[in-house]
Amino acid sequence: MRIDRRTAIAGTILLSVSLALGAPLAPTRAQGKPIRIGEINSYSGVATVFTFPYKEGLAMATKEINDAGGVLGRPLEFIHRDDKLKPDEAVKAARELVLQEKVDFLAGCITSAVGLAISAYAKDAKVLYFATHCQTSRLTWDEGHRYVAHTTNNVNQYARVVAKKAAAFPYKKWAHISPDYEYGQNLWEEFWAYLKHLKPDVQVVQQNWPKLGETDHSSYITALLQSGAEAFFSGLWGAQEIAFVKQARPFALVEKVHYFTPAIGTPDELDPLGKEAPVGAITTTFPWYDEGVLKRHPKFTEWNKKYTEWAKAHGMKDPQPKLGASWGYASAYIIAEAIKRAKSTDTDKVIAVLSEGFEMEFPWGKVIMRGCDQQAIAPQFGGVVKMGKEGKPIVADIEEFHGKDIVKSCDEVAKLRAAAAEKKK
Amino acid sequence: MDFITSLFPWITNGPLVLVQVMSGLSVGMFLFLVSVGMSLIFGVTRIVNLAHGSFYMVSAYLMVTLIEVMPEHPVSFWIALLLAPVGVGILGGVIEVTLLRRIYRRDPMMQLILTFGLILVIGTLVLLVWGPDNKSVPRPDALAGSVRIFGQPFPSYYLLVLGLSPLVAVGLWLLFYRTRWGMLVRAATVDREMLGALGVDVSKLYTEVFVFGSWLAGLGGALAAPTVAVALGMDGDVLINAFVVVVIGGLGSFAGSLISALLVGELQSFGILIFPAVSIVLLFAIMAVVLIVRPWGLLGHPEE
Amino acid sequence: MGRRTAVWGIALAAALALPLVLSTFFIVLLIEIAVVALFATAFNLLMGFGGMVSFGHAAYFALGAYAAALLAQKAGWPMLAALAAAPLVAALGAFVFGFFIVRLTHTYFAMLSLAFGQIVYTVIFKWTSLTGGDNGLLNVWPPTFLRSQTAYYYFTLLIIGTSFLGLYAIVNSPFGYALKAIRENPRRARFIGVNVRRHQLYAFVLSGFFSGIAGGVFAFHNGSVFPDFAFFTKSFEPLVVVLLGGVQSFYGPLAGAFGFKLLEWLISKWAPIYWPLFLGAIVIAVVVLLPQGFVGLLERRAWRPRPTIAK
Repeated sequence: MRIDRRTAIAGTILLSVSLALGAPLAPTRAQGKPIRIGEINSYSGVATVFTFPYKEGLAMATKEINDAGGVLGRPLEFIHRDDKLKPDEAVKAARELVLQEKVDFLAGCITSAVGLAISAYAKDAKVLYFATHCQTSRLTWDEGHRYVAHTTNNVNQYARVVAKKAAAFPYKKWAHISPDYEYGQNLWEEFWAYLKHLKPDVQVVQQNWPKLGETDHSSYITALLQSGAEAFFSGLWGAQEIAFVKQARPFALVEKVHYFTPAIGTPDELDPLGKEAPVGAITTTFPWYDEGVLKRHPKFTEWNKKYTEWAKAHGMKDPQPKLGASWGYASAYIIAEAIKRAKSTDTDKVIAVLSEGFEMEFPWGKVIMRGCDQQAIAPQFGGVVKMGKEGKPIVADIEEFHGKDIVKSCDEVAKLRAAAAEKKK
Repeated sequence: MDFITSLFPWITNGPLVLVQVMSGLSVGMFLFLVSVGMSLIFGVTRIVNLAHGSFYMVSAYLMVTLIEVMPEHPVSFWIALLLAPVGVGILGGVIEVTLLRRIYRRDPMMQLILTFGLILVIGTLVLLVWGPDNKSVPRPDALAGSVRIFGQPFPSYYLLVLGLSPLVAVGLWLLFYRTRWGMLVRAATVDREMLGALGVDVSKLYTEVFVFGSWLAGLGGALAAPTVAVALGMDGDVLINAFVVVVIGGLGSFAGSLISALLVGELQSFGILIFPAVSIVLLFAIMAVVLIVRPWGLLGHPEE
Repeated sequence: MGRRTAVWGIALAAALALPLVLSTFFIVLLIEIAVVALFATAFNLLMGFGGMVSFGHAAYFALGAYAAALLAQKAGWPMLAALAAAPLVAALGAFVFGFFIVRLTHTYFAMLSLAFGQIVYTVIFKWTSLTGGDNGLLNVWPPTFLRSQTAYYYFTLLIIGTSFLGLYAIVNSPFGYALKAIRENPRRARFIGVNVRRHQLYAFVLSGFFSGIAGGVFAFHNGSVFPDFAFFTKSFEPLVVVLLGGVQSFYGPLAGAFGFKLLEWLISKWAPIYWPLFLGAIVIAVVVLLPQGFVGLLERRAWRPRPTIAK
């Protein structure tokens, strides 16, 4: 029975080793020590294009806050974990952060599924969770509860910006192409409902639902060309949308059917496309380079410079400002502000502050943390893709919107929550 | 017939169907280039190389760098297309000599786990070297537009792929069936022990095959780079497709890979039109059906 | 025999006493290790004892997890009833798919199991109205008396411990020996009157059954289930665990689960951003340097070569 005994010994040794390794790192934090926030995001693979700039924005804000004396005299500290884009990994990480690292709050998420999963855990564990990066509106609306706050945009706000822009065009026949999962469906529904509201005579003539991560879109492109639509909406994002645009180019799809998409205008997508960018597309963006916007927001230029220096110093291959960086930056300040106003890290006191709501000025405009749903209402920038100098595409003719003028009202949110609660019964 | 046309209105649109067929063909050709190397490596060394998709990704990233460092000139693209797969072939060689060679005598599953570890390592190294940002390789100007086929636009770049892949296929056929090296490779897929007993340096053959297979993965990645975004995660997408093609075609069968790649390309192309809601499950459903009906794939051989 | 009883007695006493000395987090970790250990041991019934490698075993874990979650949440079943149904649903799935899979050998066996696994995954992913699609099913919690981690730990210990005894009994039964005979030489097994396919199918169904238990226990521990449970990368988890732990021992998967889960946690703690580099490098190092896995580290005996699993 040598194996039995040895296996038993093996197990004991492994467990002891892990305890020994884990123990010195186990937090024995006293008062006055850092305010610890467990931050869960996708730090490997396909999402790093968004999360790396986001993390630098978060780190830069944290440094600023701590250099200015911290929060309640204590430094802010983010402890990162990779969710590998999987909600169950996120839940595992959340549990580890709360139980082992003894964090005061949770933060993070890039996909809707991950955000909703952490939110469900937070509600059950009674830990306050700041969703900082994902965009599903269900997070604070249909599935909202007191233990979740959303410090960035939700789908509703930028989908409505694109819909508002779309309503200004005479198009009646619409088609769309959206990735076949929660976010893609949510985005298309939000866009279409608002466009229909603004312009009741529009109709859908054709729909395309490629799978998330599809690499070849030829068939969808042919279908869009044949659909007879005057314009189409795209809910694609990231590498998939870049591939779509590249594959659509030889068919001159964008020239024939007007292209509306929230995502393509962000530098993450537009810059790699270069001279292959879809000129004429109506989109949203993070306009760090736009002279008009910089004139209206005088502090923006300084922020851009600061972030670029920071990103360079921290080894980012592309140090120019990104949308994700602005979200990370704003999230750190919003979390700090909530704790400051609560004068405590006590979960209930911070929730009390969040449920009253507050406003903050950022270099790109005002962000409202709305009390009724603990949802950030942020400035939005819509425009059209044009070719800038030296073959570098930009979003031009930028029109500023504020989320507060377009987002669903507190009454509408209350109805959504009631309907969701009814459905669960 | 009315019933069919009402269900699938596109079916009477001859030119559309033709373009769809051609687009399926080009998808299939990409799949063939990626999968044939995987199939070859399996046939000879019995390794299910999960890192095959990683090699494909590295090649696409090499394309990005090569085009960046070379002067803007129409020829640069073609030089990059030549060099990137060679770089990946060398990478494959290094991995084979330093790691895989040590465990050939062990359980083949161990080799699979090792290549699984390679996916993690290579993915992170790519992130460290190239950064997280999406990259794009522009198509050469001459192939940026489209040509008209019966009035329907068809991307010129796909014509390049449609032209190049048969050349690769013929080249492979000549290599396998008309050279001594090809004969040894084919012999190794049938009986490795016997080949060793006959005095062939099997170990050297393994290295050569692994390098060649990696080069093929690199060629696929380099050719595909201009049609997609070069981004992290492209390794996993292509791996699973290559896997399915190799299995349907028959592991280790070169002709099988070709037929199965074209079949899968067409089925995907039309699957989107015919069953848009379930096109996502189609690939694996086909794989399951083929394996149930013909357990060793279309042109593979029964094991043992 | 006395020594063996003593070892098991000590192990059991230690397992029972652990929650008294460990922090909640380690109790959670132990629950996760137990789940992975059962999943990997069920997988090893096929691989180590039956010589059959499945690349789609996550499907049966997921079927168990989703059956438990759906019955508890949508049909309103009590947790224990839902949990009891989990292995049955998984076994049913394993029977339907296994019927086709066991007709194949070696690599093709692995490939067909992968295809079925991915089909289960896409069905779960696409059937949003039932399964919640990519958002999964949330708030799948056990009743109040099992809500504390300590209570759930003991519950897990009971269920998974019993499952281990069951698997041990199967491996050492005439059926288990027949299975090993088939692994060593299917043709000879057939000559002595063993119905090879039927035995392989039974093994497949049993393996699916126990994977389903692991899935069900995990669903209520996690409080949520997701399509990723069925994805092919999840199918590699038991394979990695078994091979790292040691394929030739019944206890290999247990040692592998301990080692792998602890490693995963420590790496995610120390290198939250570039963890795949370290995990990948360690996996490669273990494969190259430790031919017999973690169990082999402790076992100095010369390794008895086994026939390879896929020729």
